[in-house]
Amino acid sequence: MTDAQLDFETEALSYMDQLFAAALRMTRHRSDAEDLVQETYAKAFAAQDKFKPGTNLKAWLYRIQTNAFINTYRKKQRQPKLSDAEQVEDWQIAAAAEHTSSGLASAEQEALDTIGDDEVKQALAELPDDFRMAVYLSDVEGFAYKEIAEIMDTPVGTVMSRLHRGRKLLREKLREYAAERGVYDKRPTAPKDSGEVCHARKGV
Amino acid sequence: MPGRECEEALDRLFEYIDDELPQDELRRIGDHLKTCPPCEAEHKIKEKIKNLTARTGGDTAPEELRERILASIRSAREGV
Repeated sequence: MTDAQLDFETEALSYMDQLFAAALRMTRHRSDAEDLVQETYAKAFAAQDKFKPGTNLKAWLYRIQTNAFINTYRKKQRQPKLSDAEQVEDWQIAAAAEHTSSGLASAEQEALDTIGDDEVKQALAELPDDFRMAVYLSDVEGFAYKEIAEIMDTPVGTVMSRLHRGRKLLREKLREYAAERGVYDKRPTAPKDSGEVCHARKGV
Repeated sequence: MPGRECEEALDRLFEYIDDELPQDELRRIGDHLKTCPPCEAEHKIKEKIKNLTARTGGDTAPEELRERILASIRSAREGV
């Protein structure tokens, strides 16, 4: 075995815990996650000569794992792919509705402080696959938008759309969980002319 | 204060917390957040949620999976 092969093997194997954690969030089942990681490594080592040394090996492995997940497990779980209509870039319009009164915002901040890791995992698990993956790759792995675009084989604009939509859904779910536990009062959004609302939104 | 600043800040908040903005925009939005409590409240909420999801990684691969993968790499190499 050459030094380059040895370096590849050592570095690739060092990402196993991270790939497994990601596989667990993607598949939502331990045994599927184990199979997915094994498949990822089998494919990576078979395609080793296609990897360009000096480029991002971690992102390359994530790309293989994401493809394997889409091709194998998503079919198995029969989760429909998001339609193009659902990817329309309307999140910028939605941003306008996000500005609530300062009272509601601080109630939400306090509610978020009571959220446990299991609730976040549950909320993530309920997101559509593409949203969940984008949020995970950004928030947990810290990949840049451009890297996520390469991993998910999609334009950067689509990554941003998935992040916006995924995080919006996640936030709604966390609010619901907090409300169920009685620590968040789900009052309707304050009217826009209440005076407490950001000045930018008056008359919008 | 012009409302356009709020609009820009709100539209760019995710890019702001994801560190995806060029320096000048990062500074402009950062300055705005310091002076606009409603925008800052929204920023805090988004940041809190990002920090919550950041904690959902960290699972470690089971030892027997590691062994299985190492064994399959070895047998693939021997087969070459």
